[in-house]
Order: sequence, then structure tokens, then C-alpha cells
Amino acid sequence: LNAAPGPAPRQRVRFLPTPAAGGGGAVELVAARVPVLADHPFVRGPRFRKLKIGAGHRLDVKASGVFVLGIGHGNKLLTDLYNCHLTKVYTVGGLFGKASDDFSDTGNLVEKTTFDHITREKLERILAVIQGTNQKALLMYSNIDMKTQEAYELAVKGLIRPMGKSPPIITAIRCLQFALPEFQLEIHCLHETQQYLRKMVHEIGLELKSSAVCTQVRRIRDGVFTVDDTLPRTQWNLQSIQEAIRNCQLKVETELEKTLA
Amino acid sequence: AMAGLVRRLLCRGLCVAAGPPSTRQLREAEEAAPVFQYAGKAARRKDRVFVWGFTYSGALGIPSFVKPDAGWKKPRRIQPTPYRLETEEKISSAACGYGFTLLASNTRDITKVWGMGLNKDSQLGFQRSRRDQTKGYEYVLEPSPIPLPLEKPQQTRVLQVSCGRAHSLVLTDSEGVFTMGNNSYGQCGRKVVEDEIYSGSHVIHQLKEFDSRVVQVVCGQDHSLFRTKKGTVYACGWGADGQTGLGHYNITSVPTKLHGDIAGVNIIQVSSYGDCCLAVSDEGDVFGWGNSEYLQLASVTETTQVNVPRHLPFKIGKVKEAACGGTGNVVLTEEGNVFVWGYGILGKGPNLIETAVPEMIPPSLFGWSDFSPDTRVAHVRCGLSQFAALTNRGELFVWGKNLRGCLGTGRMEDQYFPWRVTVPGEVVDVACGVDHMVSMVRSFT
Repeated sequence: LNAAPGPAPRQRVRFLPTPAAGGGGAVELVAARVPVLADHPFVRGPRFRKLKIGAGHRLDVKASGVFVLGIGHGNKLLTDLYNCHLTKVYTVGGLFGKASDDFSDTGNLVEKTTFDHITREKLERILAVIQGTNQKALLMYSNIDMKTQEAYELAVKGLIRPMGKSPPIITAIRCLQFALPEFQLEIHCLHETQQYLRKMVHEIGLELKSSAVCTQVRRIRDGVFTVDDTLPRTQWNLQSIQEAIRNCQLKVETELEKTLA
Repeated sequence: AMAGLVRRLLCRGLCVAAGPPSTRQLREAEEAAPVFQYAGKAARRKDRVFVWGFTYSGALGIPSFVKPDAGWKKPRRIQPTPYRLETEEKISSAACGYGFTLLASNTRDITKVWGMGLNKDSQLGFQRSRRDQTKGYEYVLEPSPIPLPLEKPQQTRVLQVSCGRAHSLVLTDSEGVFTMGNNSYGQCGRKVVEDEIYSGSHVIHQLKEFDSRVVQVVCGQDHSLFRTKKGTVYACGWGADGQTGLGHYNITSVPTKLHGDIAGVNIIQVSSYGDCCLAVSDEGDVFGWGNSEYLQLASVTETTQVNVPRHLPFKIGKVKEAACGGTGNVVLTEEGNVFVWGYGILGKGPNLIETAVPEMIPPSLFGWSDFSPDTRVAHVRCGLSQFAALTNRGELFVWGKNLRGCLGTGRMEDQYFPWRVTVPGEVVDVACGVDHMVSMVRSFT
């Protein structure tokens, strides 16, 4: 980054003594534009000695997926994005038949149960009820007075969401794959932690009169950033990062304008 | 000396070193763990009944809310969220009246109908008091069997029950309709007896004279409607608002056939709860008669009482189901859209108080979204000033005046747009009363 050509040094006008035309010892002052010495790299040193990098929403060690980082000025945009309270989308993989103490497949086994009575229809019924109760929580924590016409109109458009602190809320959940004993869910949520999603898998198992552990948590969307915008490990170099920032700039600006307006 | 002893024991293999279990030990422990079975492959979903609303009338059927049976329990005046009611049999039909409830089961056993709540007019039949064998109970706090005078009690099945202000109707499959309760306006279908005392009365009247088998019975506030298999409608009871639809404003004490715009039309559903009545034909047309003080029939007439069934020319599509409340009406079309009109909290925010023309409630309020586009409303029901809608996903939405917590949302405020009620199961049917509701629910697994 320091090797890249930096901004041009500032110029200023100085009156420099030059020997006068025509010889002799007389010295006259001639105006000339000279670069400011204070901007010279040898005086100032490298432009970037350290970078301020901030992280967006947390992603814990056992999960994977989209992780948003802000560099320098981007940290301020990160706080603005946080205040937008946009939903995040996860694919969560689960396994029926086991229950462990930290709800994931690497924890200590607590119980083993049968699961042959579970069908996709039963799972979808449970998911519908989870979505329903979380929808209620969405309306309740948004702190809008339910008796106003404005609340009714926002509810019709589906734009009500909590704009402050709230417990984790799932806005949408559906089953992507179901092959006993494994299943995969897509969850859209707000203000959650990955451990909460694993606990949700465990509770779905309990509700179906069996038990379940979570095998995989992968974030596929965080607000406006999707998996397509992400950089895998092989592309963690300067050019890709700069290109990625350029591509996302427009999306972030439009989203911030729309929500915080 | 101790360390030496332990080392010698270890060498001889007489004791095993402890330490964190290795991966192989963990895997073996896991495989050896016992497998528990909570539900087998043949596990069936259970049918349950949930009740909520005002408890002191006894209509919820839970005596400990009114008379606590343990020292720490306090009397609970209002049950704001759904509470499970334990029943002996699977309940197939329920109806809520004004302070009382009837539950009916499809069984062939002797006891087919249970009632609880107000019994001051014997709307729950005669409930013999244990203290005084000659008198009956005025408030029934628990679901108590109602003895019906059936000719073949072990063959006849009860199909449906319905409750009005102080009378109730029980429909059987082969023995006609049984009516009990207040008859001061002839709503029980028998001749009005002057100064009859209805409290503690044993009278249960049987009605059999209809042109074909009765398939639906509906109770209005003080009148009764009967729909037969042929699609004709009979009515009896109070008619001062024209709710009997017989062309006059007098009392009728014998079920009489209705004419007017429904003559010759095959009616597939009738509905009433207050003083207004609606009927739906097989072609999706809506007919109405009765009270129109709240603009329920204002689309066809300016008069406030209509005593002959009139066709309501709404251009909203083919109507599948209609429900009448005290001041507002709701219909459900074939496409799954819900339309409301009338007066009161109609479900479109606090600004819509009255309308004579049906207004649609947006399906996004019932859980429809791009994520789940095939969610639609399957049934609509009406209480006196509340509305309830059941979706095909088994969710229950309520809105309207929250009288004594009857909406079941957990809050005591009125609800101006459809709001989900959290019920631990898939809601199959719901019956709405004045200040309480009863729902029939199937468990998830």
C-alpha cells in the first residue's frame, strides 16, 4: 500500500533567489512553484504505518461465511450500517438423534434419541410456528403504538422492525433440504448470535420429540453484502480488496440513504 | 513411598490412569450410550381444546379460576392467553354463547354434549344440584354432560352445536334438532308459554319437521336459523329487526321457511350472532336480512330493518364463507381474500370505523409474503365485536374489541389489525363468543 503512488505533494509558491539574467552578482527573486518539503516521503516517512480495521457483526470460531470489515473511514459506515438493523441470512445444518451440551456436534453427548417418526411436514409445521411467534416479537419490540393508522400501514408493507436493542428475532425460516437424519435450514434473523441459532436447532429437535445438534452455521448475507461480494482466502491481497471496496460502495450508500432517511 | 506404591499398582495393571478421555474413548462411550424413544413411528397427533377470555361466568370450564382449590391459587378473572382445557373425548364441535359454552363430540357414547357457564335459563339443560336434588345449578363451572332425550342414544351422532344469548341448539344426524333454554320469543321452536320459568327447567324440545335433513343450525341473539340439505333456510324466534326474514316483524315460534331473494337458491352456509343474518349460495352470492343499523345491508337499502332476504350485489368474487358479528360482517372469497364491512373495529387500522361496502384486508397481515406465497385464510369466524381468521398453516389471527381479554393476545388493548394468537398447536377451528373464545387444536407431532 505504501509502495503505491500516493497523492501528489502540495505545491506552493515561493520566491527563490536566482542569479539574474545577464550575469553579475545581482540576485533577484523569481516566483516559482515548488513542492512543499514537509510532504516529501523522506521527511514524512511511509504514509500508512497502521490501519484502523473494525469488524461488523460478530462471527464465532465454529461458524463461517460473510464477515464485514471496515478500514479507516469505513468504520463510521459500519456504525451506520449497524443502526440500520438489516437482516442477516444463515444456512444452518442440523443432525437429528443426538443432543449435546453446547448444541453442536463437537460437544459432550447428553442424550441419543430415535428420529424415524420425523417427517418434512412436521418440521415445516414447527418452522411455521417459530416464524409466527417471532413475527409477533418483531411487532412488539419495534416500540410502535399498535393503535395508530401508521402502525397498520407499516404492518401491511412488512416494514416494522425493531430499531433499537432487542432479543434475537427470526424474521423468516424455511427448510432447504431434508434427508434423515440430516436437514438444512435457511434462517433470516436480527440481533442474533450463532450460539442462539444452534440453540434454535436444539429446540426444534425437542419440539419434534427427538433431539438435534447443529453441524454447520454459515452466514450467506449480512445486510447488503452477500457471498458473491466476499473474498476467499486466496484473494486476500491489495488489488482484490480495493476492487471489492469499490464495488460495494454504491450498494452501501443507497442502503444507508434508504434506511436512515 | 505413596508414589512408588501407585507406580507398582499401575505396572501390575491393577488400576487405570485417569486423565482426559481420548477421542477413541469418547466415540466408544457415544456408541454405547442408550437411545431414548419419545415418540414412535405410529405416534398420532393429539386433539386438544384451548380456552381464553372471561372466567367468572364459568364459560371457560376451569373451576379453579373461579373457586381456587388450593391455598396459593387466587381467583383469576380473565385468562388473557390460551389455556388448555382437559376433555375426556375428542371435541368435534364447539359453540360460545353469551356467557356459556357447549362442546360436542362425534362419539356414539351416551354422553355426547358438555356445557359450562351460565345456566340461568337452562340453556345447558337441567344440571341437578348436589346440595338440593330438586334444584339445578345456575352457574356450571366445569364441562358437565347434557342429557339429551335421544331415541337411539348409542347410534345417533351429534354433528354440530350452536349457542345464542340464552338458548342453544344441538344438531344430530338422524333425530333432528334439540333446543333448550329461553323461549320467550319462540327461539326454541316451540309455542311461547306465558310466565314460563326457564331456570331449572327440564324442557328440551325436539324439532323434526323440515323439508329435508337439517345440516347446519345457527343461533342469533334471540332467534334460530336452520339450513337443510336442499338449500332452504328456516327461522324462528324474535323478529323485531326482521332477523327471521319471514316478511314481518313479529315473533315466530315454529320454524318457518324463508323466501325473498333466497327462494329457489341453494344456500350452502348461514351465519348470525347478533341481529343480522348472512347466507352464502353455492354460486358465491351473499344474501342478508335483519338489522342494518350499522350499515350491514346499506348497500341495497336505506332502511335499518330488513325482514326479507335481499341479495347483496358485491363485486368481490365468489364468496366461500360468511360470518356475522354484532355490528360488523366478514366474508372469505374463493381466492382467499378477506373482506369486512359494517361498523366498529373492522381490521384496517383505527381510521376505518364504518363502511357499507366490503373492504379487503391485505393478505400480508395474515402471514402472506414472498417467502411463503401460498399462505391463505381458510376460515373466518365472528364474535359479537371480534373477528377471527384461520389460515391454512394452522395460525389463528384475531382483531376487534378486546372485551375482558377475549382476543387471547395477552394484552388488554383493542386490536385494530389482525394479530397472531400464540397457540401451541395447529388451530383447526375456533368459536367466538361475547367475552371468551374456544379453539380446537391439533398438537404438532
